[in-house]
Amino acid sequence: MSFLDIRNVSFSYNQKRMVLKHIDLGVDKGEWVAILGHNGSGKSTLAKTIVGLLHPQEGAITVGGIVLSDETAYDVRRKVGIVFQNPDNQFVGVTVRDDIAFGMENLSVPRADMLEKIRFYADKVGMSDFLDKEPSALSGGQKQRIAIAGILAMQTEMIIFDEATSMLDPSSRRELMDYIRELHDEGLTIVMITHDIEEALWADRLVVLKDGAVFADDTAENLFKRPDAFREAYLELPAALRIYYEMEAAGDMTPPLAETLWRLGSGR
Amino acid sequence: MAIRFRQVSYSYPGYGFGTYEAIRDVTLDIAATGEFIALVGQTGSGKSTLAQHMNALIFPTEGTVEIFGSVVGPKRDKNVKYNELRRKVGLVFQFPEYQLFEETVEKDVMFGPTNFGIPEEEAREMARKALELVGLGSQYLRRNPLNLSGGEKKRVSIAGILAMDPAILVLDEPTSGLDPRGKKTMMDLFRSIRGATGKSIVVITHDMDLVYEYMDRVLVLDRGRLAFDGTPDDLFRRNDLERLHLDHPSTIRVLKAVSEKLGIDLDVYQKDIASAVRELAKAVRP
Repeated sequence: MSFLDIRNVSFSYNQKRMVLKHIDLGVDKGEWVAILGHNGSGKSTLAKTIVGLLHPQEGAITVGGIVLSDETAYDVRRKVGIVFQNPDNQFVGVTVRDDIAFGMENLSVPRADMLEKIRFYADKVGMSDFLDKEPSALSGGQKQRIAIAGILAMQTEMIIFDEATSMLDPSSRRELMDYIRELHDEGLTIVMITHDIEEALWADRLVVLKDGAVFADDTAENLFKRPDAFREAYLELPAALRIYYEMEAAGDMTPPLAETLWRLGSGR
Repeated sequence: MAIRFRQVSYSYPGYGFGTYEAIRDVTLDIAATGEFIALVGQTGSGKSTLAQHMNALIFPTEGTVEIFGSVVGPKRDKNVKYNELRRKVGLVFQFPEYQLFEETVEKDVMFGPTNFGIPEEEAREMARKALELVGLGSQYLRRNPLNLSGGEKKRVSIAGILAMDPAILVLDEPTSGLDPRGKKTMMDLFRSIRGATGKSIVVITHDMDLVYEYMDRVLVLDRGRLAFDGTPDDLFRRNDLERLHLDHPSTIRVLKAVSEKLGIDLDVYQKDIASAVRELAKAVRP
């Protein structure tokens, strides 16, 4: 069984429209999986079911061997944390220090232990100079790093990023992606929900959702060879590959151009 | 000119010690009709603060903003009808979907007009028209806004502002959180609203592809100062974009890389994929 194991999960908010339809998905320890899909495809709903914020009507979710239920939700949240799109919606503390402490307080971590962990993880995300600042005085990228520190402090093994970079400007976005790569290199399991195909290229595997179901589950390299599938899932290929396929269709492709465009588009 | 900024500065009070100057010495003009303007700059550069001056939501600390003939300065003026200005310049906040609260889409869009004293039947008609402008047909009227997708919610909130028939529309990051198709649909929507009504539209965005493909004019803010005011063409031909914390649009990036890698001459300044393909085909055809 995978570290995160989603079996036949279905969810509906109002019984009328199924938002998730029989989702089967496994994520192994240390893997980096990107979840792509059009607006309303069920990506964020899936993320919320994994951390027990929503209860699927059907199916089972297992994280690190624990089957998710009302009774185990706390244990599961120690293993998997979530960073949301809007950094302003996840701050509860008066200072950055309070905020990093929040998750640990819920887990009743002893105070001395907690202070040490706050220092350690604030330093890890490069924010130790900001512990006494108000979260509202930080930039979007800094806020997301504080959210990550709070999650790491609970010794979480997996983090779900739910469009966590979509509100950031290009330079903060690059900085956060570099940082996520470092965490991944250290063994953290990453699930990244994103609309940005160039960001998805960092993952080992791409899972494409369409209308609440898993539409494709493959490497970027393989998926890019199926431009029709991309269109069918209402997604957009990277610009270089859109140019690639149009040049090919027009019969204007040369081998060196094909190679260059493919490399640019697939990030190789 | 509909909106004139004259040497406008704005400081937020009480940010730790002293004040934090969000915009500095900004002077610019926006016409009432036909403009499609992008407001860009990195996080914290003052974009939202500048936008909030456009409908007198906040007052400048220094300088003046003239909005449809009324002068808004640092001090409140009894003769200026601020509510009227806020109706004339419709401001759509970032993540407006968090502000939806009525049980049906129709009621939510009617809220603004009703609040301004418009009779119920008339408000209902205005809501229906506004929803149609944003591409939501009558089947949406009775739906609960909370059960809509992110893109639909955004459109409902934009309809809520359009229902008040503003002269100018200002939107704070209306495409953030949307998928690529949703982004294009949203930009096409603004283009069609401008075409149908002639109203000027100002959009805050980080997406240079959209700026290049859709907009006529770009305002770049850099640490509160207006660092550029001109066409996207002129902006993206500059070689100091990095200093302004901006990226090139993806067509330019791809064509530049191809040109360097293959050593071929290309006019890299192409606004969309189709024109990039035409330029590339011209270069590689024997």
